[in-house]
Amino acid sequence: MSSSEAEAEADRRDFLGKITTGAMAVGLLASYGTFAGYAVRYLYPAGDIRTAWLFVTRTETLDLGGSLDFKTPGGAPVVVARKGPGETAGDFLALSSTCPHLGCQVHWEAQNNQFFCPCHNGTFDANGVGTGGPPKGQELLRYALRVTDGLLYIEVPIESITIAAGLARPGHDACLGSRGTV
Amino acid sequence: MAIRAWLKERVPVSGDDLRALTNEPVPKHLKRWWFCLGGTPAYLFVVQIITGILLAFNYQPSPSTAYESVRYITEEASFGWYLRSIHKWAATFMVAAVILHQMRVFFTGGYRKPRELNWVIGMFLLLCTLMVGFTGYSLVFEQLSYWGATVGGNITESVPLIGPFLKRMMLGGDAYNERTLSRFFILHAAILPTLMVLLLVIHVAFLRLHGVTEFEDPDEKDGDSKTFNFWPDHVMTELKIGLVLMILLSALATIFPAAMGPQADPLTTPEVIKPEWFFYVTFRWLKLFPGTAAVLSMGFIVFVMFLWPFIDGFIRRRRPKSEISVYVGIVAVLVIITLTVWEALVAH
Repeated sequence: MSSSEAEAEADRRDFLGKITTGAMAVGLLASYGTFAGYAVRYLYPAGDIRTAWLFVTRTETLDLGGSLDFKTPGGAPVVVARKGPGETAGDFLALSSTCPHLGCQVHWEAQNNQFFCPCHNGTFDANGVGTGGPPKGQELLRYALRVTDGLLYIEVPIESITIAAGLARPGHDACLGSRGTV
Repeated sequence: MAIRAWLKERVPVSGDDLRALTNEPVPKHLKRWWFCLGGTPAYLFVVQIITGILLAFNYQPSPSTAYESVRYITEEASFGWYLRSIHKWAATFMVAAVILHQMRVFFTGGYRKPRELNWVIGMFLLLCTLMVGFTGYSLVFEQLSYWGATVGGNITESVPLIGPFLKRMMLGGDAYNERTLSRFFILHAAILPTLMVLLLVIHVAFLRLHGVTEFEDPDEKDGDSKTFNFWPDHVMTELKIGLVLMILLSALATIFPAAMGPQADPLTTPEVIKPEWFFYVTFRWLKLFPGTAAVLSMGFIVFVMFLWPFIDGFIRRRRPKSEISVYVGIVAVLVIITLTVWEALVAH
């Protein structure tokens, strides 16, 4: 083998060496990247909150301006009120008790005629419109409602967390609470 | 001798190597305890790891079992109350010591060139400490635990662009659910501590590479040695602090043991609810400003804190005598104290 052939051989080896090292590096990074991607996908929760349409009441039982307390299967209180005389979903209102600021539970303060959130001092009027504190201008979430053949239905989440035995977990039978006004 | 020779062959480290590794001369001012505030959280971190591992033997991270398991630890397991109380008090002390350490570094300018990156590492350690505190009190599954996690999740959600993704990753769903507690537990007991160990190694490595910042001591006479030995002198100082801390932690754990608050109730937010004291500032901030504005402004403040050594360096290159950092520090401390005391004194 002449010296020029030996040089060409060395160049070829050098080139092939670099190519294979590069290919290995790319392969290794790709495999680690794929693994990291799978890990993130694994950690990212699958699916959204499962909801269901539940029966609330016959529309005729709710007078204009009247309201009733409803509890989701998870036990979260919802205020359902009639705001129009008609028989469409738009004539009703279902307010969530979850504060739109940072998710605490509001409660009704009869003496102040408002909902109050104890976490960051948010207040809402009877229609769920924020009147004070950080959520001013925001509104309490409204659940979707549907009227079919004079029956009022509400779409609510059906999952709840299981807490230690002893704490009451209301089911559908206990859904209807006492009548009240907002 | 045979054993020594056997060991030496298998562990080829000489006494001289060890001395060289540990005997870096330490500046005289480190004899004062407030210059040892960096070692204090490190010591408390070890206390937390030991007590935390012991607590984990009896803790069960699920909504249906967590509260009962903490009650078992507190009320039935032998010395469970002591371990849990030490863990809780050491957490309080650790946060306080980290904040004081950071203030000491800030006011003495210890973050300045060439130590800027160690300040950044320290900031990551501060955030890890706060996160480990937050995930820690979420594990008890008291009312505060549940609502703290809910609020924390929603704060995360209000971060622009990546907020909703982060919230789902943090809670394991759109809202607090059956899988949330195990996520918090893994973060609290595995991921964050591991991260903190790695950061601490880098933090101490930087400290060793640059050496401790030296100061002019007005009490120092000419001819006095400016340094003393790490071993055994400085180690003795740290051990004394360790002893005082152990006595203090045990006394506090005995006199004010960790109690059980009401169990988490996802349907009722308590009339008066407050996070742990080290989040009073954040909590008051959230009451003062609307959601996204509060979160973005807090994010901006943390961002400025991360970059402060570079901002300060930029200012001092233009005005070498500038002591603006001292005034910024004083204002920051006053704001922190005011918001904390304000939140502590009022119900809402």
